[in-house]
Amino acid sequence: MLFFSYFKELVGKEVTVELKNDIAIRGILHSVDQYLNIKLENSRVVDQDKYPHLLSVRNCFIRGSVVRYVQLPPDGVDIDILHDATRREARGG
Amino acid sequence: MSWAGPEDIFLSTSLASYLDKKLLVLLRDGRKLLGILRSFDQFANAVLEGACERVIVGDLYCDIPLGLYVIRGENVVLIGELDLEREELPPHMIGVSASEIKRAQKAERDATDLKGSMRKRMEFLDLD
Repeated sequence: MLFFSYFKELVGKEVTVELKNDIAIRGILHSVDQYLNIKLENSRVVDQDKYPHLLSVRNCFIRGSVVRYVQLPPDGVDIDILHDATRREARGG
Repeated sequence: MSWAGPEDIFLSTSLASYLDKKLLVLLRDGRKLLGILRSFDQFANAVLEGACERVIVGDLYCDIPLGLYVIRGENVVLIGELDLEREELPPHMIGVSASEIKRAQKAERDATDLKGSMRKRMEFLDLD
């Protein structure tokens, strides 16, 4: 639940999602759910020429199970709050 | 995929907003399916009506009609909403027939196999 809550805070920010099949998609985080499925708006594939079929895709749904990384803006993270939340989770869980 | 609670009303990650839209579904094996989403569930299983597989080899492409498809969610990588105001593919790409794209696929496979076998023969040199 920690990362679900954490991603909920990032809704509206621009992120880059790197998938396990190496495709990287940059877009505005629209929503996230308990499985960490991600919906992006205004999305663009990072290497457009390599993936011509994704040219006109602007909004997409990404299944949580295929995400390798979610790259965040450096100022999108309040490290201290994240640390506290993690310690609380570790103590309670 | 969660059912939206009252506070999630603007935050839903459900596929409901994609219903009856023409979508591009990327599968784990690299296939690209296009079709109209008619149904889905919490595992991202999906029913696509009028589905076709878009095969792309280099600058050639072909849409192979498939009909009504049920996709098991575990194979889904991405579901993309196609922007109707934009071109689905770059203008330099050429649409060809199914038999031609199959020939192009075979040629690409043979080239990769040849590259693989040549690399295997060079392995003893331990160059990299």
